[in-house]
Amino acid sequence: MTIGRRTLIRIGARTLAAGTAALDLISVAIQTIVGSLWSYWRGKRPKGAIARQMYFVGNRSLLFVLVTLGFVGMVMVYQTCLLTTKIIDGRNQVGAQWARLLVLDVGPSLTAMMLATRVGAGIAAEVGSMKVTEQLDALRMSGVTPVRYLIVPRFLACIVMSVALSMFGMAASWGAGGLTGYYSFQINPRIFFDLSLVQPSHVAVGIMKAVAFGAAIPIVSGFCGLRAQGSSEGVGAAATAAVIGSSFAVLILDVLISFVAMVALGAGM
Amino acid sequence: MSSGFSLRRQIVSVGALTMAAARDAGGIAVLAFDVARSLLPPTLDGRELVRNLYKMGYRSVPIVVMTALFVGALMVIQFAAFVKQYGATGMIGWGTGYAVLREVGPLLIGLMFSGRVGANNAAELGTMTVTDQIDGLLALAIDPVRYLIVPRVLAMMITLVVMTMIGDAVAILGVMLASSAILDVHPLTVWYGFVDNLGVGDFLHGLAKALTFGAAIALSSCYYGLTVRGGAVGVGRAVNSAVVSAAVSICFLDFLMTYLTA
Repeated sequence: MTIGRRTLIRIGARTLAAGTAALDLISVAIQTIVGSLWSYWRGKRPKGAIARQMYFVGNRSLLFVLVTLGFVGMVMVYQTCLLTTKIIDGRNQVGAQWARLLVLDVGPSLTAMMLATRVGAGIAAEVGSMKVTEQLDALRMSGVTPVRYLIVPRFLACIVMSVALSMFGMAASWGAGGLTGYYSFQINPRIFFDLSLVQPSHVAVGIMKAVAFGAAIPIVSGFCGLRAQGSSEGVGAAATAAVIGSSFAVLILDVLISFVAMVALGAGM
Repeated sequence: MSSGFSLRRQIVSVGALTMAAARDAGGIAVLAFDVARSLLPPTLDGRELVRNLYKMGYRSVPIVVMTALFVGALMVIQFAAFVKQYGATGMIGWGTGYAVLREVGPLLIGLMFSGRVGANNAAELGTMTVTDQIDGLLALAIDPVRYLIVPRVLAMMITLVVMTMIGDAVAILGVMLASSAILDVHPLTVWYGFVDNLGVGDFLHGLAKALTFGAAIALSSCYYGLTVRGGAVGVGRAVNSAVVSAAVSICFLDFLMTYLTA
């Protein structure tokens, strides 16, 4: 009897905690979006805040994104060529199909996973250490909303830079894939670098994904940072939660947008 | 000099970046050597290993299962165009299975594992470093590498291999569910396409990758955790560096392993 009661209490406590967290996340999201849409252009804004965040999110992640996406491109093309040599002689299709898949899915989503790792952990660590050193309370005392002051510039910068970095990442991945195809499987670069399968609707889906991922990462990791408690332990936990939370948000949004695009664009996608 | 583009500043920043990268790579290599040396007469703190296996393995199962299910569904959605175009329903199991076992499974589960376990580990060791607990161990004549690092490295390598096995299975299940829901293909069609065309080699290829990814995640997170400086801010920065270097080394090792074991 007592065991059953304790289990019930634990389930209830977990549900309550999860519900509160979900409400908090939604409120951070709404505050961020409203803050960036309306009062940001009307009210006063800290000078150069967006540009500074763009530099941190974009320029400082460029090398990281290029290296990781480049290697992934090489691996994917290598594996696909191995597969096609075994069964059908379809190597000539590899480049065109890889371009289509990159634009439609792999480019934006892998770039966003990398951004979730780098930028998400960074945002949560920064906001979290401000929280545990009571700098956020100081901000509130001076009449500044922490979400508007800290998360809105990161939100706007992340959306722009997610699109830009996705393009760079796709280019690196495609180029590295073409080199692998040429050196390991003798695919003529003129045949590999073929954009005929990429349609305008694919580009639209890709950009939509990049924007959605770029919006989700700062909201989720900012929320994790704002929840940090304790001292150094809490900041570490917040950064960890931010990486997992924002990667997972990217994955879920990816499935959702892909599904909607498949339904909307039909079979000939 | 100070306005606009300055060549000197660019060169200085490139040099500083190279030096920092070389220092971190060297530190990780030295740590790897220390771990290997402590394992030579295989002395191991069994209780610490079991504790880490529980914390890293058992507690990561939900996130791995969720990731794998979503990845399975995603692959079916991306594969739908082929299937509709050529009517090649037998290809689903083969194509997605090949990708999951050899590539996508180890890569995505490795990235998620690095985010959950690697970051957690860097934060934990970083907190211990910041609060001088590592120095406390040294003062008690306990080797921190043998006591703290070796069990973690072993636990992460074992755990990531097991997680990849679970993830592969769940992702195939996700493919079967999604293809029957979205494409109206019977799950058994997917299953036969999978079993008939793929062998143990494909599975082992993925597991070998997972083993090296586990070692890379463990070594980078332990290194950044042990070299934290500067309180709470430093711990956050260490977590950030740990996940970034783990992601880079996962992508690089992925390429290397594909090339070597193809």
